[in-house]
Amino acid sequence: MTGPDHARFADDAGAYLLGALEETERVAFELHMESCPDCRDEVERLRPAAEALPRAVEQVSPPERLRASIMDAVRDEGDAAPEPRRERRRLRLPSLGFRPALAGAMLVVGLLVGFGVSQLAGGGDDVRTISAKVDDARLPTASAQLRVEGDGDDGAALTAEGLPDPGAGRVYQAWIATGDKIAPAPTFVADRDGSGSVALPEDLSGADAVLVTRERRGGARVPGEMPVMRVDL
Amino acid sequence: MQLVQGGSPRAFELLYDRHGGAAFSLAYRMVGNRVTAEDITQEAFLSIWRSRLRYDQARGSVRTWVLGIVHNRAIDQLRRGMVHDRRRETLDGVEERFEARERTDVEAARREDARGVHDALGTLPEEQRRTIELAYFGGFSHSQIAEMLEMPIGTVKGRMRLGLEKMRKQLTDVVIPGELA
Repeated sequence: MTGPDHARFADDAGAYLLGALEETERVAFELHMESCPDCRDEVERLRPAAEALPRAVEQVSPPERLRASIMDAVRDEGDAAPEPRRERRRLRLPSLGFRPALAGAMLVVGLLVGFGVSQLAGGGDDVRTISAKVDDARLPTASAQLRVEGDGDDGAALTAEGLPDPGAGRVYQAWIATGDKIAPAPTFVADRDGSGSVALPEDLSGADAVLVTRERRGGARVPGEMPVMRVDL
Repeated sequence: MQLVQGGSPRAFELLYDRHGGAAFSLAYRMVGNRVTAEDITQEAFLSIWRSRLRYDQARGSVRTWVLGIVHNRAIDQLRRGMVHDRRRETLDGVEERFEARERTDVEAARREDARGVHDALGTLPEEQRRTIELAYFGGFSHSQIAEMLEMPIGTVKGRMRLGLEKMRKQLTDVVIPGELA
């Protein structure tokens, strides 16, 4: 049984297992697999072949100093607590450092709807998929998810569906909110079918939220409007 | 692995002894530079130590988990630095290659397994083998491969899938003693 939009992903299983998809494609494929048993089955069927590949490599001895260096670092960290199995951090609403002119618009928070947390099928403890809060007054058909691996220190990827055209000369832009600071992140556009995605390569381990606004093409240094989406970390 | 998850550096040292060679070899095969391969292996093993509680035996062997982390780190390195014009070192690599003696049953089984995988890869049609090697060992994305080989992206993806399918059919299971330990 195939999931929605299967034709778009029909040939992706091999490239996915070989690490050959771009980050945003990989995220989109993993999201598709959640609802596509055929793709999940194909990935699991081909996985043993992909996982066998490193076993074909000619073996080369690492230098002894590498072992010593690793073990020195491990012993230095010996008493430090290991990274735990994934647990959700307590939800919190950071104070946002938007321009004063926009402060009154904070009422928009009341319009934010639809929050959920789920684990990706097969993603295990290392992956979280967090649904975005969407301002359905401005983006009535949109939904989005943020995929975070580990603590987010390697970044994350946001995928959205049902995005309307942001207007002539305008794009969507992601932002990373940490305390009172809001840092600009990459811009992205929506396809003709309203889907869009953006990779967030920055370290998100200390961030409070990922936000999305609509900005002029090229992006902005400070948000020009209240966020149309928000993902609390 | 339970002892590693319990925080035993000694157990982790044994884990490194068991899988460090394969990890370094994979990194070296991918980046073609011993210094970079050392960095990748060190980063990977420290990441493994810090995230040791996340290992789940139900999702595969320790070796598969370790090599998956090394592979991801090497791809990150390749795509960040785009060192695809890597230079192959020769002399020191040759000198330090494992000797061919079969010291233990584990090594013998691994060598047999490696031969099997190598043979399976070698029997693929050239264009399928090449796309798989460029992707997995070269760290190239499908679009980069399509550009290099001057062929449509769909063809590249199809060859990857078909190649893996053929490999899967050819591979026979080789049980590696202690692989899950």
